[in-house]
Amino acid sequence: MINKIKTFDICIVGSGAGAGPVAFELSKAGYSVGILEKGGWYKEKDFFKDEQFPRHDIFQSKQTEECHVLEEPKKDGGSSYTTAQFWGGNIVGGASNFMSGYFHRLKPDDFRLVSVFGKIKGANTIDWPIGYDDLEPYYTKVERVVGVSGRVVQHPHLEPRSHPDYPFPPTAEHPIAARFDQACKEMGLHPLPMARGILSKPFNGRKGCEYSGYCGSYGCRSGAKASSRAALLNQAITTGNCTIIPYAKAYRINSNQRGNATSVDYYNSKAQSVKVRARIIVVACYSIESARLLLNSIGEKHPNGIGNNNQQVGKNLHCCSGGTGHGVFEFDQFSRKEVQGFKRVGPFFNRALQDWYVINDKKVFKRPVKGGTIDFVFDPPTPMADANGLKRENGKVLWGTALKQRLKSHFTQSKDFKFEVFCDWLTTDDCYVRLDHKEKDKWGTPVARVKVGYHPHDKKVSQYIVNQGQRVMKVMGAQKVWGNAWSEPTPNLVAGGLRFGNDPKTSALDADCRVHGTDNLFVSDGSFMPNGGSVTPTFTIYANAFRVADKIKAQLGSVG
Amino acid sequence: MHVDHAVNRRIFLQQAGAVTLLTGLLFYKPCVAKKFIDHSSNTVDMVFSATEKKVIKAVQMQLFPADNDGPSAVDINALGYLAFALTDPKNIEDGDPAYIREGLTWLEKIAFKIGSKPFLMLSTQQQFQVIEKLSESEKGDNWISLLVYYLLEALLLDPVYGGNTNGVGWAWLGHQAGFPRPTREKNYRYYLSQT
Repeated sequence: MINKIKTFDICIVGSGAGAGPVAFELSKAGYSVGILEKGGWYKEKDFFKDEQFPRHDIFQSKQTEECHVLEEPKKDGGSSYTTAQFWGGNIVGGASNFMSGYFHRLKPDDFRLVSVFGKIKGANTIDWPIGYDDLEPYYTKVERVVGVSGRVVQHPHLEPRSHPDYPFPPTAEHPIAARFDQACKEMGLHPLPMARGILSKPFNGRKGCEYSGYCGSYGCRSGAKASSRAALLNQAITTGNCTIIPYAKAYRINSNQRGNATSVDYYNSKAQSVKVRARIIVVACYSIESARLLLNSIGEKHPNGIGNNNQQVGKNLHCCSGGTGHGVFEFDQFSRKEVQGFKRVGPFFNRALQDWYVINDKKVFKRPVKGGTIDFVFDPPTPMADANGLKRENGKVLWGTALKQRLKSHFTQSKDFKFEVFCDWLTTDDCYVRLDHKEKDKWGTPVARVKVGYHPHDKKVSQYIVNQGQRVMKVMGAQKVWGNAWSEPTPNLVAGGLRFGNDPKTSALDADCRVHGTDNLFVSDGSFMPNGGSVTPTFTIYANAFRVADKIKAQLGSVG
Repeated sequence: MHVDHAVNRRIFLQQAGAVTLLTGLLFYKPCVAKKFIDHSSNTVDMVFSATEKKVIKAVQMQLFPADNDGPSAVDINALGYLAFALTDPKNIEDGDPAYIREGLTWLEKIAFKIGSKPFLMLSTQQQFQVIEKLSESEKGDNWISLLVYYLLEALLLDPVYGGNTNGVGWAWLGHQAGFPRPTREKNYRYYLSQT
């Protein structure tokens, strides 16, 4: 039963990286903006550096209330099904509250994978309908408005920049960064200081980083982390034009006889249905959920879900291919001063390599292929989980002095440094979102069924770059080195599903991220991306959302 | 950042057996308590019988002994922490309280086979042998694994949850805690009660 009706100029579903820029820009421009956020409105004072927080579903949806059905291909050609969760953050600001903030821009070739590298059999890759030059001004805007710290260095794959450097100096670096730089120089590689969505000094009411040592996976107490909430929504609220409605679960977008979106229905915290009317509706719920909302929104002109007349909604989903690796440095192999450096807590590793952004190695690939990025990072601290991972040996649980000695050796006699590899996950017919025909959430709405098939090319590229990361760790002096490429989905790096393009037969959104078949429904989260660009996507999501905001402003004209 | 799937609460085999709730836990209502953490001795007595707490304490001291290198189970208040942890609704839902109690019966059977006495009346060396024997079976290994899991929580979680007394576990393993730390009023249980 519809209980109440609210009206705004713009209604945004979601409050993460795709929502913040739209809310910020349109509120500042004088429009009334309403944001529907499924989770609660927590602030800096609610974030504690406690391993128990990420281990419990405090800021995520509860799987018992709302889940995803994951369909993973098996080697025999069948599929296995399980309930899973691809939730980044059920909270105002979304997953951006918990990101590590590794901010890389895409590069010009990422917008033209087919034109530059050619088609790959079995992959559905398309070129973007815009080029890097269209997005570059918005990357610059994100750096300035959201706050990106770093230091630009010249290297063979540096993308063009309208401003020579980041507006904020780099965050403090761990002593391991110098060892890394030295090793890379010996190998003829180009060590890159990694830009971060983390303030290195106070800005706009936010403090600079306090170097607690607990960053990724944890909310930021100082506000330094560039969450959508801290960097943009707080500013939007101060205009007086932005209303955030927490505990608002959007379940349907309604449309009229012309096929345009008219309103959004949501359940409030008392499970009452409320309608929000708006001239413009923007969806930014994170890839899987955005596609799910559209599929659940049937209308007279949209019998298969809003925008789905060409069956493109939910298609061409991609996760992020890649892998991880480790290098263990045993303290008895280093000087006291070096060991003290290894043990330092707080400053960041902040290094990356893009020497294999394009792989031109005829021994492995017949022609040049798009490669990827290696980020050298610290794992978010989870000492109890780490310890629990050490308690078994040869399949049996360790206990007594044997257990204690193993713990002591791991924690006090060596240091483990990590790298993460990011490669494109080629879009195929085997990776998509649809509605599950049986499973429903606690509100009675069908949940998303996610098929996560991958292309074998991805694993080959990932393994090639993982091997390079291991080489670097060895030259750095690690005594034990290992790595593995994977093609399983990671919950925090899913994008696509509503890719943009000029052809409605192969895309769900137009070049302005307007849903095909509508005039006033936009999608501004990572769903729009035809490919991930072999980097973490948040920087690009922010940039594109600012671009979409400009498109919406142009469409609405002046206020009044 | 790639999220490893390892930030899960459980990575041990599921226990067998019916789920039963310990009396007293039914009356624990964290959502109305002013402070969301209560480490009074009442909690230990509420969760365990007098015999159970002595046996578990003795088992914990075998699993995490005073061996002149690092804290022992007593030093990290492992029993007090375990009692607190077993008031977590998720742990109750998983059946951990009942499973731990069931494992104590297996322990006693082996104790009688080895020393013809209850576990508590055996020598320290005999108690070690009982646990060693128990670990040879898959179910025994799983049970010990669960107790070790809670011992590791007692060792490394924030002291506000009752273990890791004065940060002794962190100090031993050279771990530097992040900041700000949770408080007795604001911790994961408080925030869970708000969701």
